Amino acid sequence: MIKKTPIFPLVFALLFTACKKDDIVPTTDYQEVLSDVSYNVILNTYQQLELKTASLAGSLSVLKNTPTASNLEAARQAWRDARDPWEQSEGFLFGPVDQKGIDPSIDSWPVNQTDLDAVLNSSNALTKAYIDGLDGTLKGFHTIEYLLFGENGNKLVGDFTARQFEYLDGCSQSLLGATQALNDSWREDKDNFISYIINAGKAGNTIYPSQKSALEELMYGMITIADEVGNGKINDPFSQQNVDLEESRFSKNSKKDFADNIRSIKNIYLGSYNNKSGKGMSTIIVGKKAQLDAKLISEIDAAIVAIENIQGSFTEAIFNAKQSVTDAQQKVRALQQTLESEALPIISNL
Amino acid sequence: MKNKAFYIILLVCILFVSCKKDNQGPVEDGDVNAGGSTTVDVSFVNTFQQPAPNLTAAEIELHRQGDLAFGDIFVTAPSVVNSGLGPVFNQNSCESCHVSNGKSSFPLSTDNTKGLLIRLSMPGTGAHGGPLPVPGFGGQLQTKAVYGKTAEAQLNWQEIEEIKSFVDGEIYALRRFEFSYNNPYIPWPTGVLTSPRIAPAIIGLGLLEAISEADLLANADPDDKNADGISGRPNYGWNEQTQQKQIGRFGWKAAQPTLIQQSAAAYNNDMGITNPIFTKESSFGQLQYDKLNDDPEIDMNTLKVAAFYTQSLGVPKRRNWADAEVRQGKTLFTKIQCDACHKPKFVTGQHPEYPFLSNQTIYPYTDLLLHDMGEALADNRPDFEASGREWRTPPLWGIGLTKTVGSHTNFLHDGRARNLEEAILWHGGEAEKSKEAFRKMSKTERTALIRFIESL
Repeated sequence: MIKKTPIFPLVFALLFTACKKDDIVPTTDYQEVLSDVSYNVILNTYQQLELKTASLAGSLSVLKNTPTASNLEAARQAWRDARDPWEQSEGFLFGPVDQKGIDPSIDSWPVNQTDLDAVLNSSNALTKAYIDGLDGTLKGFHTIEYLLFGENGNKLVGDFTARQFEYLDGCSQSLLGATQALNDSWREDKDNFISYIINAGKAGNTIYPSQKSALEELMYGMITIADEVGNGKINDPFSQQNVDLEESRFSKNSKKDFADNIRSIKNIYLGSYNNKSGKGMSTIIVGKKAQLDAKLISEIDAAIVAIENIQGSFTEAIFNAKQSVTDAQQKVRALQQTLESEALPIISNL
Repeated sequence: MKNKAFYIILLVCILFVSCKKDNQGPVEDGDVNAGGSTTVDVSFVNTFQQPAPNLTAAEIELHRQGDLAFGDIFVTAPSVVNSGLGPVFNQNSCESCHVSNGKSSFPLSTDNTKGLLIRLSMPGTGAHGGPLPVPGFGGQLQTKAVYGKTAEAQLNWQEIEEIKSFVDGEIYALRRFEFSYNNPYIPWPTGVLTSPRIAPAIIGLGLLEAISEADLLANADPDDKNADGISGRPNYGWNEQTQQKQIGRFGWKAAQPTLIQQSAAAYNNDMGITNPIFTKESSFGQLQYDKLNDDPEIDMNTLKVAAFYTQSLGVPKRRNWADAEVRQGKTLFTKIQCDACHKPKFVTGQHPEYPFLSNQTIYPYTDLLLHDMGEALADNRPDFEASGREWRTPPLWGIGLTKTVGSHTNFLHDGRARNLEEAILWHGGEAEKSKEAFRKMSKTERTALIRFIESL
């Protein structure tokens, strides 16, 4: 029987199989993932950020004109609401936010308390234009937070000076300008940075020579924020037992900040944010290694849950509930490890 | 059986031959992995923020700490965190000028001059043969101040554009700047020498530090003995730690011998942060000196990790190197002697502290030596042994990613060139012959040369 087996067809069959890669160039198109992530997540997040900072500015204007306890609480909630999309944007910190020098006007930390006191004690008009011209450490989220919540987070409406209300008003206008500039820099009808990602790999794209390069940028963005949360934002105050290193201490919003950072990873991974959903990085991973996709989704959720389960405020927990902090940190580090050592190689080998 | 064996051998041969393309691939240029084992094979906005892939776990941790230090924002003293900004300064963090670790663009407006600074000195030499500080201003113009103090002066400029042409008749324009220093906090002394400087990209610096002094000196030809019109000589700066003269490698005039000292000088001059190497405020002895007893404002560990960050970033792999046009451009690059100063290759020596930088075959496209670049580029401000017409050859690795990383294509020490072509056309002095050869090229050749540089 063996002798009768015609060997030439076998040769050709083998040839065909062995050289398949050569003959059929893989043309997988990731345009849909890139497009969905860009519109549904990135642009959508920046739109929300602009909308929510506009509300914050509105609330602080009301507070200035009518300083009541309820208006103070409304302004604080507006700050938290605006902080949310910003933290959910930190999984994709690349492009205009840095290139246009916008980040320092939004998220400079720490607050320059010495200069802030001096400015408040001066007779300078605290207009948006004046505050626009100041260093980042005198404006943005953390300056507003410091003035709005107070050093110990328990400031009463009677503790504010008129100058502080004015400063908060001008400062929120300035922040709104920065978030508008950021949103505009991505918008299709404005500076259109979004087109670089959507059109990755197309002729004339001066940033992304391939779709893979854009996908890698997204992967590194996720890894970077996981690293920052686990090894920076949680680790620095915790390992040094120093509350002064905690970023959103005045508002006691740190746990929310950290969880939103991880949500930022989730949004990019799933291609969904705020009522818009589509294809994310998950679509690619699931096609290559379904188990890894399930593992990533479960690790993302576990990290969010563990952060939210840190007992009390983060400020208290780093001294009094160390196990819960350690647990959250471990979950975030596990996620980072999986992203870096398992998911990234898949994208890099596309 | 014989037949079968024959067919099997035949089969294997055919398989081997027919799939050869797969195994062999196109011929690879030697310089594709520009940073040796520190090379990173990515191409996106955050390319310059990747650590070298050959770091140990301990070095990755050090790099991470350095990354944080590099991003740390300083504020006015007293502060429980990051205290000591100013009293006069240029920017409040390393990152503000080295955006995404790339080269800075020329500022869009005089309102925010980040990425650009002006070095100052009086004619003559100061301590250890360095620039002579300007009374009341020091060695650098600080254009910002903490609240209650005054910027040393406001920086302003005018753009001047000149129309020129290639030998084939195509027109090009070169722009330059005339800077002015308005509203100085004390009268502007007469005779001040100025030198505008743009913040460079910070990739691959550890490798440049690891090149042996002997290898640098091997390219020096101060008296142009080989009569190629190109001399090249080392600068010798002052090492504050060893208190000795040492060959310079960093900065636009190679006045800084080490990265730790380069970083310490930047903390001190750019941010007003005193440190274990430069223990006195940049404003010491001036009217606006803070007289606070808070120096040094950062410790040796912070300084070390910040310097380590610049030593341990990955160098990007070349892109499009197999492209025919790029290869043609590479040939032209050598033909018109760009490589006489932009030396493609070095093998690093033993790095005293970090083995990942040792024995690496690298392609930085610089000789780290000083060259007379002609009158048009001259700043007329000497810096240690560098004359007012000399500049250090800047490395070219990563230059093709300037737009990707920084969203601009401004080049040269003051960012005057708006693209690579203009940067080449500004070359003069020792590079005059190469520049003229470029001017005589056909459009096709010029484009090929630019494509090659963009592939670096």
